[in-house]
Amino acid sequence: MSQRSERRGIHVDQSELLCKKGCGYYGNAAWQGLCSKCWREEYQRARQKQIQEDWELAEKLQREEDAAYASSHGSQSQPSLTPFSKFEEKKTNEKTRKVTTVKKFFSPSSRSTAKKESHEAKSHSPSFVRQSSVETDQVSREFMEFLKSLKPGREIHKQSRAFVESMGNKKDLGADELSECVQDFYQNMSDRLLSHFKGSSEKVERVMDQVEKYIMTRLYKSVFCPETTDDEKKDLTTQHRIRALHWVTIQMLCVPVDEEIPEAADSVVKAITDIIEMDSRRVPRDKLACITSCSKHIFNAIKVTKKEPASADDFLPTLIYIVLKANPPRLQSNIQYITRFCNPSRLMSGEDGYYFTNLCCAVAFIEKLDAHSLNLSVEDFERHMCGGGSGEVSPRRTSESASPWPIELLSALQKRQQQVLVEAQDLQAELERWQEGVAREVQDILDKYPLEIKRHAAHAIDSENEENDRLPPPLQPQVFAG
Amino acid sequence: MTAMRVDAKVVMLGKESVGKTSLVERYVHHRFLVGPYQNTIGAAFVAKSINVGDKVITLGIWDTAGSERYEAMSRIYYRGARAAIVCYDLTDNSSFQRARFWVKELQTFEEHCKIYLCGTKNDLVEGDRSARQVDYHDVQDFVEEIGAQHFETSSKTGNNVDALFMKVAEDFSNSAFELLPEEKGVNLGQKKNSYIYTCCHH
Repeated sequence: MSQRSERRGIHVDQSELLCKKGCGYYGNAAWQGLCSKCWREEYQRARQKQIQEDWELAEKLQREEDAAYASSHGSQSQPSLTPFSKFEEKKTNEKTRKVTTVKKFFSPSSRSTAKKESHEAKSHSPSFVRQSSVETDQVSREFMEFLKSLKPGREIHKQSRAFVESMGNKKDLGADELSECVQDFYQNMSDRLLSHFKGSSEKVERVMDQVEKYIMTRLYKSVFCPETTDDEKKDLTTQHRIRALHWVTIQMLCVPVDEEIPEAADSVVKAITDIIEMDSRRVPRDKLACITSCSKHIFNAIKVTKKEPASADDFLPTLIYIVLKANPPRLQSNIQYITRFCNPSRLMSGEDGYYFTNLCCAVAFIEKLDAHSLNLSVEDFERHMCGGGSGEVSPRRTSESASPWPIELLSALQKRQQQVLVEAQDLQAELERWQEGVAREVQDILDKYPLEIKRHAAHAIDSENEENDRLPPPLQPQVFAG
Repeated sequence: MTAMRVDAKVVMLGKESVGKTSLVERYVHHRFLVGPYQNTIGAAFVAKSINVGDKVITLGIWDTAGSERYEAMSRIYYRGARAAIVCYDLTDNSSFQRARFWVKELQTFEEHCKIYLCGTKNDLVEGDRSARQVDYHDVQDFVEEIGAQHFETSSKTGNNVDALFMKVAEDFSNSAFELLPEEKGVNLGQKKNSYIYTCCHH
């Protein structure tokens, strides 16, 4: 930049180089001729004004929307107008959606969102983006629908909206601060519901579930696995770790599940599906529900095998086994996300919390897992880990060192395999013989009835006659005058 | 899914096969079964409501894996627990040594957690005194030293089991109302801070 001003200095008057505000410092074309300090002030003022304007616009839109919401709310209370109110409601919803998008463009908070979304749209397929926004709309609609039945519904909606918008301003906060904001909001909201609106605690909990759903569906993109954390790195580490441990068997972990039993195997598959499914959910509570469902399937698998209810001594190893088998995508990010943004009462003491804690334990165990925790010798463990790199463990070694399968079973299997191999070779030989036989027969027939092609039969008589030239020209018809 | 509201988290600690699960099973379902039982699919987590005075307290009882290989993770389990029932087998001295380990851990990392030491399999030592390996008075001394509670139970006969959990619920009920205002005060402060932060940001 200084280079440029020097070059220009040859042609341009010194005064033109100074800050236009006359503060004595040099200005810069990029800052509209102001020095850095004046430019910052000027820019801030303009920005503030813009923010103010945007805010007013947003307020206006909010008022409109509220009015629309109130009118639909009002019509709801008149039972005779049900079909009409339905129509009205649809209209309101459409309006809401429009308002949101319009607001998105105008409100200062969402400027970065819009930018970010367009950036994301490039990396994802467009259908993905559309799908997620459809989901958001769907959730908003359900939220409105749910709140209609409540007295403080409007208030809750307004607060939730305002909170989501204010979170847009806090994009550059660290994950822990974001988490604190959300948790504070939960706390304040439930306190208010308990004290102001005299809700019973069950009712408040139900409302809070909906609030969480609404808020987190909207915030998901910006707060799941944020760039300010190393969640993503941890995800990769865990993923590699699990992949390297692919050789761990059910027996090494002392898992009381017999996968030979069809029902147990079926439950294992379902548990794996559920834990993988977790990543596709947006709301922390839904993610928790996936973990709980996975756990229920695990209990079922244990119950089918052991014929008695599972204790934690049975459950934890099985969960570890399931996690190793499933290698769920973005496991660490998901755990962090749930920890940061789930309603804390659910996480700390309830049933979902119990299964979630077990999952955390399972992940911690997998991270720290060593020879001792699998009852293996250190050499065996090392060998497995190295073998894991090449992706091949010789079955012989496994049977010697760690495989708890009975030797007889293995040798019986080996015998059967050899038999299969011998029979396969027989079959191949037979096939070859058959092929030869057919070939011979064909040859025989060919020999017996040689193919005679009478080539010259249809040919032009003269084609191979080399002395064509010497022949006299064909006779031309002549016309005699007579 | 039975989504019960849970007031207090109670975590069961103890070496493998000291009978944590049986204790919970006896308390919640009033039974001690040796053979196969079909009704429940899992006893790892149970929620149980108890009447304490005119209030209803719901305890969420967390079973934990006692095997040594999961020892490093036990901290994750008892985080935020209001009470811990540390079990040991009256006929197995090593299980009491492990119980001491957990008591130490709890005192270090979870000071708000009340500790209840529970000697299990009392029926075995009642029939045969020589089977007892952990002296009642030794434990009593230890318990007084650490300011905990002490119970000897039998899941087979049900002896003392209800008393143990009743005590847990009562203690929680008494302490819950001391703690609540304090917690709220902290939260309000936090909220204020975060608002200041937002203002500064613009």
